[in-house]
Amino acid sequence: MQVNLLEFWPRILEATQETLIMVLVSLVLATLIGLPLGIALVVTREDGLMENNFVFKMINAVVNTFRSIPFIILLVAILPFTRLIIGTTIGTVAAIVPLVLFSGPYIARLVESSLLDVNQGVIEAAQSMGATNWQIIYRVFLPESLSTIVLNLTIASIGLVGASAMAGFVGGGGLGDLAISYGYQRFETDIMIATVVLLVVIVQVFQAIGNRLSKRLKRL
Amino acid sequence: MIEFNNVSKVYEHEGQHLTAVKDANLQVERGEIFGVIGFSGAGKSTLVRLANQLERPTSGEVLVDGFDMTNLSAKDLRSVRRQISMIFQHFNLLESKTVYHNVAFPLILAGESKSTIKERVEEILDFVGLKDRANYYADQLSGGQKQRVGIARALATSPNILLCDEATSALDPETTQSILELLKRIRDEYNMTILMITHEMDVIKDICDRVAVMEGGEIIEQGAIFDLFTNPKHSTTRKFVESVMKADVPKSILADIETYNDSRHIYRVTFLRSRAGEPVLSRVAKKFNVEVNILYGQILEIQDTPFGNLIVELQGGDDEVLKSLNYIKETVSVERVLVDAS
Repeated sequence: MQVNLLEFWPRILEATQETLIMVLVSLVLATLIGLPLGIALVVTREDGLMENNFVFKMINAVVNTFRSIPFIILLVAILPFTRLIIGTTIGTVAAIVPLVLFSGPYIARLVESSLLDVNQGVIEAAQSMGATNWQIIYRVFLPESLSTIVLNLTIASIGLVGASAMAGFVGGGGLGDLAISYGYQRFETDIMIATVVLLVVIVQVFQAIGNRLSKRLKRL
Repeated sequence: MIEFNNVSKVYEHEGQHLTAVKDANLQVERGEIFGVIGFSGAGKSTLVRLANQLERPTSGEVLVDGFDMTNLSAKDLRSVRRQISMIFQHFNLLESKTVYHNVAFPLILAGESKSTIKERVEEILDFVGLKDRANYYADQLSGGQKQRVGIARALATSPNILLCDEATSALDPETTQSILELLKRIRDEYNMTILMITHEMDVIKDICDRVAVMEGGEIIEQGAIFDLFTNPKHSTTRKFVESVMKADVPKSILADIETYNDSRHIYRVTFLRSRAGEPVLSRVAKKFNVEVNILYGQILEIQDTPFGNLIVELQGGDDEVLKSLNYIKETVSVERVLVDAS
């Protein structure tokens, strides 16, 4: 039985909302993990501000490990962990756990490369003025790379939109869930098209916001 | 004020040793502009970074304002560094911040109050002539303006010492002059001690009191700027002097000489100190039966003292020429008089 797209709208809106919640909450939490890790990767590396080979290698290995697991596998592999901290493995909130674990290390890498782009000469200048390492992180590294970091977080958020669709596959809700359970399994082509169009719109909006914000943050 | 005692810096990379600075000894006095010149790779960049410990020496002692820089705690080193400012070849300004914020930066780092910062930044921006650029960003400024911001930033904490790392090397000659003028003014008004490194002899000539020449990590010659210019001992020093003072007779003149050969008397006359102001050559022409023809010449002003190098031809009988020569030699301290090119 075909569903009427007009009558089905509330369900689509709900799914859109779930997708946005998954993406945005995951983005915030993953940034909270990825930003410090990215900073740590830059300052502990060889010739970094606080060179520490052991710490660098540890973080580097952990980040690489998470980054090498395909999301669809990570999703099911950590189900016990998700149940442990959320109490269930089904639903939007539960889907956030694998999304954060997936994108946190990714954001760490993005932050790392953004910070490595900061002019080494400016850091040297700050050192010559008697800046502490924390002052250099807070007053040189971050403001100088903020614009690039925002652009990179936009990339991460678009990655999250894709991943959230996969999370829908294991009962996470959202547009991906809708597309699979109606569009794919029940051959509702209209719904498939509607979800795809919505995903495209979401990505476009994210990129536009990211670009504008990044440009603005070039000059603080 | 700044003292290097047997300072060496050796880099170790994958088992390879590279000596950047070897047994450097130098003393920079208070209120002095001291230049270090060398070709690229001579170790001068490392040398200047040893002064504020951006580079740690492998051995030797670095004293700044009485502090043994190598034995300071991290905290003490940071506070001493506020007294030693530095400006850079590529300016190293914060690109995300305004000119105002860049100049305020060292004061913010030092935890000064907003009102203190505002007062100081405005005063300094006025001093370097950028008062109307306070709200500009680095990418809206010319190279010379960027360096002025760099200098303003360096002055913000009222330091005693200013380190200049190729501060004018990225600037055109005219802008270089204006930056050098500014540095001189800073020395005069703030009694600043300035240690500058450069590969440009022009910069040294215009502004330095004393100079050290570096090659292969070693200081091969040092002394008062005038002595070094008029009496360079090392071949590298001579090369630097010749970069601003052409010692060779130009080719066209040489060709001319060869054509006429023996019949002409051409000499190189070098004037030192105040003697450059004396009308020796015109007196010779009046006193003896010779004509003085200046073929080529250059007079430089080093430390407000003229230093001249002239190629002259004395036209007249051999006898008269010889007498003229003796006269020149005794009246003016002519250092070198070369015989005919033939």
